[in-house]
Amino acid sequence: MSLLEIENLTARYSSGAGDVLKGIDVSVEEGEIVALLGANGAGKSTTLRAISGLVPHVGGSIKLGGVPLFGQGVEAIVRLGVAHVPEGRRVFPGLTVAENIMLGASNRTGLGRAEMMREVDEKFELFPDLVRLRDALGWTLSGGQLQMVAVARGLMAKPRVLLLDEPSLGLAPLIVQQVFKIVAEIRRRGTTVLLVEQNANVALSVADRGYVLETGRVLVSGKPEDLWKDPQVRAAYLGGHAIA
Amino acid sequence: MAIFLQLLFTGLGIGAIYALVALGFVLLIRAASVVNFAQGQFAMVGAYMLVVCLNVLGLPYLLSMAISVVLMAVFGVIFAGATYWPLRHRGGLPVIISTIGASIFLENIVLFLYGPSPEVLPGLFDSPGIQVGQVFMDSQYLSILVAATLLVVLQYFIFEKTLLGKKLQATSQDKEMASLLGIPVAAMILFTFSYSAMLGGIAGMLVAPVLFVSVGMGGLIALKAFAANIIGGYGSIPGAILGGLALGVAETMGAAYISVPYKDAFAFAMLLMFLAVRPQGLFGEKISEKA
Repeated sequence: MSLLEIENLTARYSSGAGDVLKGIDVSVEEGEIVALLGANGAGKSTTLRAISGLVPHVGGSIKLGGVPLFGQGVEAIVRLGVAHVPEGRRVFPGLTVAENIMLGASNRTGLGRAEMMREVDEKFELFPDLVRLRDALGWTLSGGQLQMVAVARGLMAKPRVLLLDEPSLGLAPLIVQQVFKIVAEIRRRGTTVLLVEQNANVALSVADRGYVLETGRVLVSGKPEDLWKDPQVRAAYLGGHAIA
Repeated sequence: MAIFLQLLFTGLGIGAIYALVALGFVLLIRAASVVNFAQGQFAMVGAYMLVVCLNVLGLPYLLSMAISVVLMAVFGVIFAGATYWPLRHRGGLPVIISTIGASIFLENIVLFLYGPSPEVLPGLFDSPGIQVGQVFMDSQYLSILVAATLLVVLQYFIFEKTLLGKKLQATSQDKEMASLLGIPVAAMILFTFSYSAMLGGIAGMLVAPVLFVSVGMGGLIALKAFAANIIGGYGSIPGAILGGLALGVAETMGAAYISVPYKDAFAFAMLLMFLAVRPQGLFGEKISEKA
């Protein structure tokens, strides 16, 4: 049984609107990095939002470790082990870096503040660039720093699966490399990752498998090397050239 | 100079009441994006709860206040359940209309239960006050200032030094993200309503011995507190406190030095002046609509 099992997922944002997702099947095994790729509007972010319970009108099924997620509230889904780092990072602007990261553990009941702060310090080991920014407010951070805070905050939940939505968006190439090094390190430490990216090159450089979405459907899926072999996919969705 | 200092003291006392009600406004604006037009009626309900505990049940003053504060906290949750909860997904305007409706309902239910005659409440202390230099500090105004200071300190402690406070701040800054972290957003919002009702209620209880307790007492307090909110900076906590105090001092000074009948006009003239010259208020930021 897969850790995360998505079957025939359909979704729309309001009743009467057309389906954004039209029957998606995705599975994520424990310890994997799986990438969802595709153009704008393909349904990648909606898939993540549906997993987190943020899309009101959904069909099909999503199970985490065999437990159905539909019908659970957003906060209950977090408690079951889904951490979502959304597009745009959504770091709280009026809270410090340390406070932002600390709040990532809000799903873990019974965790004392001292223990929480000890874990925050551990996260700073994974993100050493953030150490000097510990007391900086969220709104003062650059895009790369915000992304690191958002990922660190997601990890504080000790998730069974980490949903990462467009982590490279708006970042300089050097910072993108840095962020994806961290994504690989997160997996090495045992966290399963479902990654949404438009930048197929960097996503497939760390992913074990990928799904290419097109207008709410899975067009093709497989290992990165298989995806690169498909000329249609390469031309249309992966930028037409293979990883260097 | 003695008169000026005396007026300053009185103005700060009245201003502290506006500040407490304005704080209630701000907290709800930040946590739930709701402008609660029944915030003044919270003060009225609080004052009437004190009237019931003190004058009807004959309980001691401090116990009466404690019971009224707890009841106001519960009342805040009920109020949220009735006015905010059913409409929370429908945007800000329906909730605002709902709070206006609730304010009318609250005034009329109290009118039905208590009638139009104002009630009189004794002060917290038997002593009329203390003389400090040239200023006579009325014991009730002094109580107001001390209580308001303690509440502001308590609020600072809760919001800045506790995990609950950080969760409340996170909820006010980005509800969906807070929810994605497992923060119980609904509980945070209900807590804010409860706390806000408590603040309003305490303001009503503190001001009750200075004014008469009447059905309409909340309306003017709310208008002044809302003006304080704009003057201080819409949605700013320090702004609500400073705006409230400034408004209290301005209207007291205006009444004493210029004209008593136009006392209320000074507060709103100050509001108009800020709207014209510095619409973002003392601590506010210029806000533009999101695309």
